[in-house]
Amino acid sequence: MASSRSEGAATRARFRVDLTIAARLALAAVLAVASLSAYAAGGALSQLDQQCLGCHSAKGLEMKLVNGDKLSLQVDGTEFSKSVHNKLGCAVCHANTSFENHPPVKTKIAGSREYSLEMNKICESCHAPIFKLYEGSIHAALFRDGNTYAPVCTDCHSPHAVMAKATYDTASGAPCSKCHGPIFEAYASSVHGKATLACSNCHGAHDVSAATKEGQLKNACLGCHQDAQANHQKWLPNAKRHFDAVSCPACHSPTAKRKVDLRLYDNVAQQSVAEKAGVPQFERRARSADAKGAGLDAMALYSLLREFNREGLDNKTTLRGRLEVSTGVEAHQLTRSTEAIRDCAKCHQQGADPFQSVTISIVGPDGRPVRYGAQPEVLNSIISVDSLGGFYAIGGTRIKLLDWLLALAVLGGIGAPLGHMTVRWLFKRYAKKISGQEDS
Amino acid sequence: MARIYVHPLPVRIWHWINALGFVAMIVTGFQIRYIGLIDLMSFRTAVVVHEWIGFVLIANFFIWLIFYLFTDKIRVYHPELNPMKHFRASFRQAMFYGYGIFKGDPNPHHVSVYEKFNSMQSMSYQVIMLLLVPLQFWTGVLLWDVKRFSGMIDMLGGVRVVDTAHVLIFIFFSGFIFMHIYLATLGHTRMAHIKSMLTGYEDIEEEHGGGKQK
Repeated sequence: MASSRSEGAATRARFRVDLTIAARLALAAVLAVASLSAYAAGGALSQLDQQCLGCHSAKGLEMKLVNGDKLSLQVDGTEFSKSVHNKLGCAVCHANTSFENHPPVKTKIAGSREYSLEMNKICESCHAPIFKLYEGSIHAALFRDGNTYAPVCTDCHSPHAVMAKATYDTASGAPCSKCHGPIFEAYASSVHGKATLACSNCHGAHDVSAATKEGQLKNACLGCHQDAQANHQKWLPNAKRHFDAVSCPACHSPTAKRKVDLRLYDNVAQQSVAEKAGVPQFERRARSADAKGAGLDAMALYSLLREFNREGLDNKTTLRGRLEVSTGVEAHQLTRSTEAIRDCAKCHQQGADPFQSVTISIVGPDGRPVRYGAQPEVLNSIISVDSLGGFYAIGGTRIKLLDWLLALAVLGGIGAPLGHMTVRWLFKRYAKKISGQEDS
Repeated sequence: MARIYVHPLPVRIWHWINALGFVAMIVTGFQIRYIGLIDLMSFRTAVVVHEWIGFVLIANFFIWLIFYLFTDKIRVYHPELNPMKHFRASFRQAMFYGYGIFKGDPNPHHVSVYEKFNSMQSMSYQVIMLLLVPLQFWTGVLLWDVKRFSGMIDMLGGVRVVDTAHVLIFIFFSGFIFMHIYLATLGHTRMAHIKSMLTGYEDIEEEHGGGKQK
């Protein structure tokens, strides 16, 4: 039935042409009266939009793209009429639509993601300030890095249903949980999740930056919990120092696995050392210093630090230690303050678990830290007095050599008098023996 | 036996506050640093007690300092600047403690109001009172509020450096306190020097001419 196949193809082609002509005529008519269209009251759509929706509300309306993706062309008119773009209508964003090219059978769209990215450029034309905020965000940085699935406007804001308020849904965590599912699961049962606080409360929305950016999340905590520092000072010695060196979740997420992160810090510029984009020195240097590949030991860390201090004359790179939780999920499992860790011995004890896991980090070009593993001994070795002068937890990260010195001093302090007394006693006995005299 | 008044009341008060205070500091310091090894009190209690007594001892230090700065007794702390004299006296004293004392020799040093310390004591106490104790107080205060003093701490190399200095001096005093108590029993009776730190009067041997008074 070879001929029927070519006949079928010809029929389909004719149908398509007919449809095209019909659609174009319809569109022409619509555009001709566009200037005379009037808006109905109460947020309903314009006649022009209703004409678009005449075809585009059809369920199952879709087109096939070059890479095989199917792009849905169906728009929910009711939702769009409730959205904040209802008065703008279709034509403002879909400005490329014209009588000549609709439906755009000749236009080749590479794929649905490519289409989204293309359409997202239009948002900036009206929302320039917010777009600028977004450009400074970690999401934009990831996008620029080459991850085309990093969120753009329409990933969080459904394009035809943009509302005035935030798009966050407290029950499901959408849209954040779309990508950050495990974090939302952990968060939902936490004290803040149960209070249905949105992610953007702490992380910002358009200007969301790397979670570990210096001081940022701590300031978010303290922004609401303004009396936290004063409350801690009532019972916690060196409370302010703890606030500097320990992250909030380290105590307030009591089941977390904690660790130490040693951040490269420039004492002269008074800020964390950041890696410039395209110049990934840190990992290369760390690897070359780590001879056995088992994580940097004390000597390797010392030489790595020296390398960083060699290049510029006007910097003084040191290490600033911070006690943190190991994963983002744990950082979201915050509990009520009554359940927080209060036992000093959890950290200030030899062998405490936070000090068994150590990393060195530098701020990466997108704001996220680039980490390299170190051996726990870096916290206790005698070399640490030089390389890790700024990080010390009494008792927990003590230098073992000093313990030996103490033992020596105490044993000597007790032993020397005992020895001296013994010799005196022996001499007395000897003197008694040879002289036969009574001693006074 | 003649009695001379070598320890004025301020000195005695200062001494015994120091004695009790240093013992408390050593015990609480040990508890703070070695929380896994002993459990005399909670970490927090140890820190709080350590800090309170620390400030008492700092105030106590000023009793000592003001007494000696404003009286003529400061002469007991004058160092022997002539190195030969100092060496000879120290050597003689060391020989006594290391050998002569076993034979029953008399102490080569004669206590007097303005020379109450023998040569070795004099050197030790100068180092202790003018260097080690002030350093311990200074590092202790820095550690008491790391954030407040972060500028100075950073200048010194960081909190670990400050703590290491504090611990090294702690190690010294832990050994020293035993030596100090033992050496105090090496008077003409075991309790002689201890009694004199309570009453203020030291008994001295008459046959040495009642001691040299300058």
